[in-house]
Amino acid sequence: MILVNVLHRPIRTVVSILAVAIEVVMVLIVVGLTTGLINDAARRTEGIGGDVMVQPSGASFMFSLSSAPVPIKVGDRLAEIPHVLAVTPVLFQSDLSTHGLGVIFGIDIPSWNRVSGGFVYLSGGPFQGPMDVLVDDWYAKANHVKVGSTLSLLSQTFHVSGIVEHGKGSRLFIPLATAQELSSSHDKASIFFVKCTDPGYTDDVEAAIQHLLPGWEIHNMGQFMSMMTSNNLPAVDTFINAMIGLAVSIGFLVIFLSMYTTITERTREIGILKSLGASKGYILSIILKEASLLAVIGIAAGYIGTALVRKVLIESFPTLYVESMTSGWAAKAAILALMGALIGAFYPALRAARLDPVDALAYE
Amino acid sequence: MEPIIRTEDLKKIYRIGKVDVPALRGVNLIVDEGEFLAVVGPSGCGKSTLLHILGGLTGPSSGRVLVDGNDFRAMSDADRTRFRRHKIGFVFQRFNLLPTLTARDNIALAQSIQGNGFNPRRFEQVAEMLGIAQKLNHRPYALSGGEQQRVAIARAVICEPKILLADEPTGNLDTENSQMVLSMLRTLNRSFRQTILMITHNPEAAAVADRTIRMRDGRVVSA
Repeated sequence: MILVNVLHRPIRTVVSILAVAIEVVMVLIVVGLTTGLINDAARRTEGIGGDVMVQPSGASFMFSLSSAPVPIKVGDRLAEIPHVLAVTPVLFQSDLSTHGLGVIFGIDIPSWNRVSGGFVYLSGGPFQGPMDVLVDDWYAKANHVKVGSTLSLLSQTFHVSGIVEHGKGSRLFIPLATAQELSSSHDKASIFFVKCTDPGYTDDVEAAIQHLLPGWEIHNMGQFMSMMTSNNLPAVDTFINAMIGLAVSIGFLVIFLSMYTTITERTREIGILKSLGASKGYILSIILKEASLLAVIGIAAGYIGTALVRKVLIESFPTLYVESMTSGWAAKAAILALMGALIGAFYPALRAARLDPVDALAYE
Repeated sequence: MEPIIRTEDLKKIYRIGKVDVPALRGVNLIVDEGEFLAVVGPSGCGKSTLLHILGGLTGPSSGRVLVDGNDFRAMSDADRTRFRRHKIGFVFQRFNLLPTLTARDNIALAQSIQGNGFNPRRFEQVAEMLGIAQKLNHRPYALSGGEQQRVAIARAVICEPKILLADEPTGNLDTENSQMVLSMLRTLNRSFRQTILMITHNPEAAAVADRTIRMRDGRVVSA
């Protein structure tokens, strides 16, 4: 009877399934996008190759929220610490108009190469002049940039000197001196990446830096990676929860409306069931089972929809990293959608169960 | 032997807005087990209300209702629902089949609600007796009025209720189908000693019953 009822009202069924599917897609894509952005940033930072990151007191591990830079000479003192192989300073530059929340890295190529092992150039080569910029392949693909193209960054015109393989820090790199000049931060840097002679010395080096620069933000890469979760990022969890709340509300309201109108349409049928001796529990259960069936189909459609939306997003925005659906979040989205549908169907179901059988049988 | 239905000074008052509208004004009725009783009377005389109370669809305002030894006044709504599920079968003027289900599923639904599972032997027996075996896979809209009413009767008796309550079962049928439905009710009564209480406006239909009572203004005026 439940399946027959679902099939008997195709428009209502399709709308309800669509609402649940959108709910699931919203939850999974929002989570995929936020965790994707965070994980991508974390992986790119890890990809630099430094073992320890040194930032001034009060700086955020979110580079786009970095504080005032500090003298670059600190790097010389770090280089003197035993077991330190190389130190490279980076000055962050934000350009929201062209680069979103991403950060442009002002780098010193020789020390950068010592820490990171150097860029893999897919075309072109290192900076030839102060107004040169290196872009990674994802940025180049997304923005149709080639070697020799010009980019307007930080209210200046830059020439693309090379396209590098993605995965090391930023997607855009300019000479450190240029970054310092444009931000009036002469001889200053936002962060120092420290490479140890052997990763086994990381803790020793970290301890030595803490001794040398008390109060500074000093993190080894393991700590940094563990901090890069939505829980540690301001407002990200709130954003995720708000979006999930919105998505669940959509599913809840559509199922509520759908089941409410269905119950009104089927008042007489409910009267018939009651005349046959159907209890309140029986009627409640068939309505809730019907809502559950719609939700289950909607969840399955939502999984397919999520995979499609993710594919479209990745193809349309190559710099966007959308995490694929994890089984944990797929289960959470399913539970949320199912709960939303059941709660949405509960009042209409209760109303149906409480209908007076004589009134229901007389309903036209 | 104790009658299967006994009512004593049965009253039912509906409150419509701020006005009390009496539907039954003290009905005293006795129906013996295996009896086929017709209830006749003009519209609004309380026939359907009496049927609804005897079927446990609604409770009385006062008076006593004993059905198969159960006092409805002492029973909760849930108890009456349970009683109806096992002891009462309804047949309505408008057939009241579920339009989305086939004839087979409409009949099986009663067994499903009763909770004793599908009984294929009983199902076949009832379908054969009512002449609907060839129509079981049809939905109500594909059946004639007579066929729909026979499916409704099959659904009402599939769980072997103690009492069959029929509310104008021939009211929507032509003469030929009316005769067929009445003949089947008569067969059920004679062959299986099925107690039947039938409301009707039709004197020919009432003539099929063992006994006829007449109601007027919420009272039984002749028995």
